[in-house]
Amino acid sequence: MSYKPVKMKKRNPDPGPGRSGDSPSLTGAEDVVARAIQGLGIMHATACMHCGFCADTCHIYLAEPKLENIPAQKFSEITRYIRRRHTLSGRLFSRFVKNGELTQDVLRKISDAVYGRCTACGRCTLQCPVGIDLREIIRIGRKMCAAVRQVPEGLQRTVDNQIQTGNQMAIPREEILSTLDWLAEDLKMEMKDPSIEIPIDQPGKDFLYLINPREIKFFPLSLLSAAGVFHAAGASWTLSSRWFDVTNYGFYAGDTPAATELTRRVIEEAVSLNVKEIILSECGHGYRSFRWEGPHWIGQEYPVSIRSVIELLDEFIRAGRIRVDPTMNPERTTLHDPCNLVRLGGIVDPQRRILRRTVGDFVEMTPNRENNFCCGGGGGMLSMSEFGDVRVASGKIKADQIRATGAKIVATPCHNCADQLIELSKKYKLGVEIQAVVELVYNALIR
Amino acid sequence: MKIGDKSIDFDKDGFMVNPGLWDEQIARAIAGDEGIEEMTEQHWAIVNFIRNYWLEHDLAPAVRLICSDVGVGVRQIYKLFTSGPARGACRVAGLPKPDGCV
Repeated sequence: MSYKPVKMKKRNPDPGPGRSGDSPSLTGAEDVVARAIQGLGIMHATACMHCGFCADTCHIYLAEPKLENIPAQKFSEITRYIRRRHTLSGRLFSRFVKNGELTQDVLRKISDAVYGRCTACGRCTLQCPVGIDLREIIRIGRKMCAAVRQVPEGLQRTVDNQIQTGNQMAIPREEILSTLDWLAEDLKMEMKDPSIEIPIDQPGKDFLYLINPREIKFFPLSLLSAAGVFHAAGASWTLSSRWFDVTNYGFYAGDTPAATELTRRVIEEAVSLNVKEIILSECGHGYRSFRWEGPHWIGQEYPVSIRSVIELLDEFIRAGRIRVDPTMNPERTTLHDPCNLVRLGGIVDPQRRILRRTVGDFVEMTPNRENNFCCGGGGGMLSMSEFGDVRVASGKIKADQIRATGAKIVATPCHNCADQLIELSKKYKLGVEIQAVVELVYNALIR
Repeated sequence: MKIGDKSIDFDKDGFMVNPGLWDEQIARAIAGDEGIEEMTEQHWAIVNFIRNYWLEHDLAPAVRLICSDVGVGVRQIYKLFTSGPARGACRVAGLPKPDGCV
């Protein structure tokens, strides 16, 4: 398949710190809505009958049952504006009433709601009796905010880091190379095999493995495990020292030009390294972004195929390319389903097949699969300290789910969920260890 | 929050709002909140390395640097700080929350 170079779309020129003051103009936010409702259809924005069924689907509402936490209420300012500007009755009567006007104050309210009281997990969308895509309307709100620099500060800084330095933690290239050397030494010792390498920037391999920068900076055991498993499977793979970041904070922020640029870089890197496939490390929103949103952003199909490492590990085990022994992971283990990978990404069974083969005592939490609750850390929440209290409070449901399983280990195929689950274990005294799926596979390897 | 004779503010992630006010007593208080019963020599070596690195570079060090300097294995650091180097050790060292997916 051929690849047509993509030009970087124009981003908002002001690289300010996020929600620091009034935006000079709200036109950008108005344009977002005008474009979005063409795609989504005005029905989604105006069909809500306020039945309230969505309330009990939302972990944030359940943690704090107040009116403003009901999913449909979170976008009421957005739909009020859409009614005023984009429906006949709204246009006819708008000159008599102020209701639905887009002002700085309204935009700040939208920003608080769409970033601070919603993790964009999509559980409400699944239950809406009239089929409104609530999550998509929240996304319109995020895009409106991004268009006029009203993204919360920590999230905006992360997007800017990612665009400016190539990875969301601004890790310099030398540090990446040194860390990989250091990890390779540990891996050689652990696997008692001095021939192991962690390949970097090597062209012509079967796949390019994208990782979360957190796997370099703070939590390298998942990367070490993946390198060990790939070695055991005899895989032909490489990392990139330039564009290696599996995350896409542009997606979280609603900053489509940034999201497009981050996608473009990786796809072009895969083309220049001449790999057949891109394999995504365990990352919920990274999977959703690269697998499902990316082709729309860059306006064409990818010239390479793309899969989650979960699908690859499942293939390795089923094809007998690695042999695993579940008694190596004897402790009771449960599984948390990341919303963006499972409910919104469609990867539901591979992780279960893997755990049944690699873990001695695997138990499901309830509810699970596409009906699972968000951990509370989704939607970029972990990068926005101002909403830290909501994040931890809304994780109580997840903590209760975990406690009920009696598990000692929680496996989750998402680094973002993992951070939240570590904190939930501490705050709610669960005493559980959080592991990436690949870590459990590595533990279970028969060498 | 009052720690010793200082009044210390924390953000909603539990990181110090004014990292300049940090001292060992505050470190012990945060460590207690982390569920660390006693700050051992190894805990202090990690915390002091992170602190000094941050003072010099205005940046949290990568885990490789921490492990190499202090001489702990990569698996060991998660036993010492169960929340990991970022939300655990950096927080005890009084750093602001590192950006991004942590």
